[in-house]
Amino acid sequence: MSVLRLEALNHEGLSNVTAAFGPGNHVVVGNERDGTATLIELAAGLVAPRAGRVLLDEAAAWSNAATRQRIASLRAEETLLPAPDVTRAVALALRARNDARSAASVLDAAGLARFAKQRVSTLTPHESRAIALSIALSHHEPALLALHEPLGAIGLIDEQCILPALNAFAAAGAVVLCTASRLEDAARLGRLASMLEGGQWLDSTRALSALRAVTVRVHTPEPRRLAARLAEVSDISGVEWAGGQELLVHGSELERVAQSVVANARAEAIRITALKQDAPALEALAAARAGFTGPT
Amino acid sequence: MNSVRVGFALARERLRGASAPLVLLLACAALFAIAVLERRSDASSAPDDVLSGAVFGIALPILAYLVSERVCAYQRLTRCVDDVARYGTNRRAALLGVLLASAACSALASALLTIVALLGAHASDSSSLASDLRASVGIALIAGAVYALYFAAASLLGKRGGGRKWALVIDFLLGAGSSALAAPWPRGHVRNLLGGEPVIDLSQPSAWLALSVIGGVCLALSIVRTRE
Repeated sequence: MSVLRLEALNHEGLSNVTAAFGPGNHVVVGNERDGTATLIELAAGLVAPRAGRVLLDEAAAWSNAATRQRIASLRAEETLLPAPDVTRAVALALRARNDARSAASVLDAAGLARFAKQRVSTLTPHESRAIALSIALSHHEPALLALHEPLGAIGLIDEQCILPALNAFAAAGAVVLCTASRLEDAARLGRLASMLEGGQWLDSTRALSALRAVTVRVHTPEPRRLAARLAEVSDISGVEWAGGQELLVHGSELERVAQSVVANARAEAIRITALKQDAPALEALAAARAGFTGPT
Repeated sequence: MNSVRVGFALARERLRGASAPLVLLLACAALFAIAVLERRSDASSAPDDVLSGAVFGIALPILAYLVSERVCAYQRLTRCVDDVARYGTNRRAALLGVLLASAACSALASALLTIVALLGAHASDSSSLASDLRASVGIALIAGAVYALYFAAASLLGKRGGGRKWALVIDFLLGAGSSALAAPWPRGHVRNLLGGEPVIDLSQPSAWLALSVIGGVCLALSIVRTRE
């Protein structure tokens, strides 16, 4: 049973991040600007933290080869190892991991055999990430999987290949740490969610309230009048108008926000031509709310 | 041992491509032409002149510099094996593999340049060609390897290994002298081995030793300064 600890981590936008992850699936919600890519690189021991510590089973992966060998990782931007073709790049990676399996079997298992003979230099960034993910998922006994947006590879790798593999690793006692910029992906990836917002760490309790924030896009011929009216409504935390006929209305409860918009527009006799929730999708938010539980 | 082999393979892949053989070919052609011109100017001193000037004075350091830059992927030395280290390879061992590949490549390229230059500098019926080749190829092998290790150690400096450039400049400037200032750099000792002015009056056997020490120190420094 492995444990990943981040202690007072300060590094490229990450601000004093302290967290611990036990065996199982963990999702950090946020995008690259929030520091998720940096978090994964630090967790996987790909870079040394400027301040603080990253420990996997009490060993710093950055400076410990044996610990790194137990980590499978996927970065935000992947470049395969230098080689004339994909097969040889994957083979070199497996050799570096001391893995006796063939590159062809790894690519085949992920449904990426069609790239085997392709030149590494001709791969798109999306394809490079998918191949890097196939290498990560082929790890025979990882203590930690640190994966940045693993569901971004769907399209090249079947979702039914990724999620069961992650669940199997988690069940075997590995720490599966994934990041997701979309709530929908977060809900599919894991049960235990935290959040990075502008480099600030929010544990699952605080993340849940942040994740509850909703935005509704309202189209109306009279946006200024409606904005003025909505600014005084308690259920609405903010209104944005960037010109045109669209308003962005922020709040914490989707139904209340929508009802307030409609009621206030009706009271002022303002016509609404469209009303829709900004991403994430309604069902994703519901799934996320239902799925997220307390901190580790 | 596997990590050393992985490092060696990484360096080999980084050196792969059309540009490296092309540069070597152009360098060989240029040195051959210079050697022929030297022979037409003064046949007796042509081999010494072309070796101490164009081959060991200019081509070899620049070639070793380019090889070093390429195997390090234009990065700082301590970061150049990160690509394989992420999979659990020991950085120090992988770096040793990279340095061995770099040294071997530079040594072989130097030997090739030396052979081509001597073929151009000697007349086809020259009796001294064989003995010159025997003596010079050995010097080329050690000089190439030491220069590769020297530039590798210099790549420890600078965010992207910019110390390499300074090492090239310092070797050109300080290594050209014969005072104690020239002792830490390869150039003066290579010149001594070729029959030129010695550094601080060192004998030729001492120059072999000095080059070995420079190479050994650079190798040790590179490994020690790299994290596992």
